[in-house]
Amino acid sequence: MVLKIFFPQCCNMADSGLLIGHWLPGQDSAVVLAVVHYPFIPGQVKRYLSQLQNESRVALAVLGSWSMPKDGQEGMESFLKDLSTIFPQGRWLQLSREMGQRGFTCHVVQREGTLLGDEGDKCNGENGDGGRVIFIHYDQRKVMLSQLHTLEAGAGAGAGAGAGATVTGAGPSELRLVFSTVAQSQPLFHTDKYDDGPLKLTHWQSEGREGSIIVELAKQASVPLCLLLTWLLSLWTWLCGIRLLNLQPVRFVSSKLSTCVQLSYRTEHLQTVSSPKKALGHAEFMRKANIFVSFFVDVALGLLLISWLYQENRISLLANTLVPAADHVAQELQELLKWLMGAPAGLKINRALDEVLGRFFLYHIHLWISYIHLMSPFIEMILWYVGLCACLGLTFALSVLSDIVALLTFHIYCFYVYGARLYCLKIYGLSSLWRLFRGKKWNVLRQRVDSCSYDVDQLFIGTLLFTILLFLLPTTALYYLVFTLLRLVVVLFQGLIHLSVDSINSFPLFAMGLRICQPYRLAEGVKFRVLCEEPGKPLHLLMEINPLKFGSVMQWYRTPTYSCYPKDSWAALCKKLFVGELVYPWKHKSTKKTD
Amino acid sequence: MGADSDPGAPSAVPWRKVLYERQPFPDNYVDRRFLEELRRNVGVRRYRYWAVVREAGLVTQQLSCVAVFLTLWWYMYQGQLYPFTLLLAGLLCALLGYGLYEALGGSRREGRTRLADLQSAAIFLAFTFGFSPVLKTLTESVSTDTVYAMSALMLLAHLVTFPYAQPSPPGSLSLNAALFGSVCLASRLPGALHTFAMLTCALLVFALWPCLLHSLRDRAPRGFPWAAALVSLGGVGGLASQSPGGALLLALAQLTLTLLCPLLLLWLQEHKDNIHGPWDEAEIHEDLSRFLQ
Repeated sequence: MVLKIFFPQCCNMADSGLLIGHWLPGQDSAVVLAVVHYPFIPGQVKRYLSQLQNESRVALAVLGSWSMPKDGQEGMESFLKDLSTIFPQGRWLQLSREMGQRGFTCHVVQREGTLLGDEGDKCNGENGDGGRVIFIHYDQRKVMLSQLHTLEAGAGAGAGAGAGATVTGAGPSELRLVFSTVAQSQPLFHTDKYDDGPLKLTHWQSEGREGSIIVELAKQASVPLCLLLTWLLSLWTWLCGIRLLNLQPVRFVSSKLSTCVQLSYRTEHLQTVSSPKKALGHAEFMRKANIFVSFFVDVALGLLLISWLYQENRISLLANTLVPAADHVAQELQELLKWLMGAPAGLKINRALDEVLGRFFLYHIHLWISYIHLMSPFIEMILWYVGLCACLGLTFALSVLSDIVALLTFHIYCFYVYGARLYCLKIYGLSSLWRLFRGKKWNVLRQRVDSCSYDVDQLFIGTLLFTILLFLLPTTALYYLVFTLLRLVVVLFQGLIHLSVDSINSFPLFAMGLRICQPYRLAEGVKFRVLCEEPGKPLHLLMEINPLKFGSVMQWYRTPTYSCYPKDSWAALCKKLFVGELVYPWKHKSTKKTD
Repeated sequence: MGADSDPGAPSAVPWRKVLYERQPFPDNYVDRRFLEELRRNVGVRRYRYWAVVREAGLVTQQLSCVAVFLTLWWYMYQGQLYPFTLLLAGLLCALLGYGLYEALGGSRREGRTRLADLQSAAIFLAFTFGFSPVLKTLTESVSTDTVYAMSALMLLAHLVTFPYAQPSPPGSLSLNAALFGSVCLASRLPGALHTFAMLTCALLVFALWPCLLHSLRDRAPRGFPWAAALVSLGGVGGLASQSPGGALLLALAQLTLTLLCPLLLLWLQEHKDNIHGPWDEAEIHEDLSRFLQ
């Protein structure tokens, strides 16, 4: 069995003393956390350790001794042996460093006092099964701060070794234990070198803390701010919960307007952020931080947009182009309908039905144009007020844009719905009449087509209808096709807007920033590099942290939004289009989200 | 049969045709009883010529029905036949046919009331009348050749899929094909009333006439050949008034179908050679009805 000792890099040059650390349960490895220097009183060390143990809930123990040769220290050998009797342990490590050599030697003393593995002068080949020791050096600060993510390929911990070190046995669970041990023993690292305690320790330590008034003030202010925000939010949710707003039409309309959907998302996010409870785990903390940062970025972008929009009379400019644009679209539609009514491209179109449909749609467009002209004096004012909601964030501005587009192309939507309904009716009628034509019927109970004997009158009427539907199908299909294409253009535009809104909502900005600035904070695994490998000396490895890939950061820390829910595949979409079912830009599954 | 040609050494053990016993014979051994159980032409029926001719008359008259319908349509298309006349004639025929049908006891057998018949008739008339303006403009933009090709195809499908053995509940596909073809043809007529009259006529010819004929065949076997002959003659005569060549062709086809095809059948029947034996699939001859209760 190989004994692995995780050794902090900061203790490499520490003065002689006692090794404090933790034996990993179930593993043949130890994590060294700190070195206590001479002189010390053993009773004080024990008390200190038990006190730390209460704080950090890590079973801290004295692992062994550390000797750093210096001038005027002779006869340490016997003293070190005596120490092991003071701190009774299953195994006692004796690490010693020699001047002018890179590695250090290790003796493992069992409880009975027998020297088990002597790596110093003897060849380690002769007792290969007994006591091979590997030193794994780690950066204490980085390991303490980093969060290890388990992926499917978690065993790739040692595989990515740059120098070709093949360390087997350092499985993910052991690594996880090392990381958690170091992270939990944070109280140990609180004492810095200016602290004048009874014990002198060497470990990673901050360069002392600098007090900042602003940070302290912000900390003090955050709690009442959160409380105020929570109260406001509860007021808002109470307002939303009023009975009048939950009536069927209002509810339906608000579920279709993307601004309202965005509003509900924002409320939910703010509720998450402003809850005064401390974040429990790493995931929740990251979620809160992500939401917080993306909220701020969103609002900043929105304010930027407002400052651009309300300068130089841009709103009225926009309104003045919007109305003619809508007018122009309506006129183009009129042209298109007239073209459709004149038997386009030599298609076999039923003239009478063509005429009827064309007139119906033309009348609709006429209505629409008059509606727009009625609205045109107010559009600038509406835009001015609606534009103000951009101060809630860029996502709101985009949602409002999406809603405006939806409202301005409402006639296209209407045409599409009429065309699709008519087409759907024909397709379903034809498919069931085709079964009648062949003398079959659909058996609902067995979900299959059965043969059936019809009466003469049923057959007669069925065939009559079948013939009529068959000959009228091309006309309906043409109108359906044209309006579906128009609708798809609008849907594509709205889908793009929704996609951008959704990416702003769900992009893990904080996690990405963390990954860029402090890559070790989000670890995917570790890699080992050989530091020194000399015959007759223990192997020294350097453990480096593999940062999480950007794609994985997205996967882990994406804020769940509606785009995460499964959508129609392309084949399903095509089938829907062929059968004539209605297609919407984005399936809002808000009802399923609540559970 | 090389194995059994060894009469010089008669075995003490008689050979049995079983596989589960070890016998002192080669595997491919058969004895003298080989092919003893072979039987030829077990289920073959000997037809009488005139009986076959009588049944073939059904095919002939169906062909003539299509010819009659096409002739009527042609007259209407040319404007030589007024829809009103056709409607009147159709009404007369329908009444006569209904009377005959009642006399033969057709509807009483199927348990239909007179009210149901009246209801069906009302539905036919109302739907046809209501849809005839729509039907008239239905195929306006489709070219005439397409319409003709479609109708020809559909009428052919009608003739092919017609249930000649049991025409009384008309086969769905054949009736539907005939109606589809007639709607296509009727939509080419000049007026809505024309369309209505044509569709009524199609209903009479393709839906109601086979029912009456079937009833006739069951109840009055003597009258059936005369009716079939009448329809055939009517078809030939009608076609002759428009195109003598077509009439000639139709008459030839009728003769072939009625007289030559039965001859061919009888001749082929004599050449029939079916063999039966113990190698056939097992048939259960036991009366199973007691298990079914």
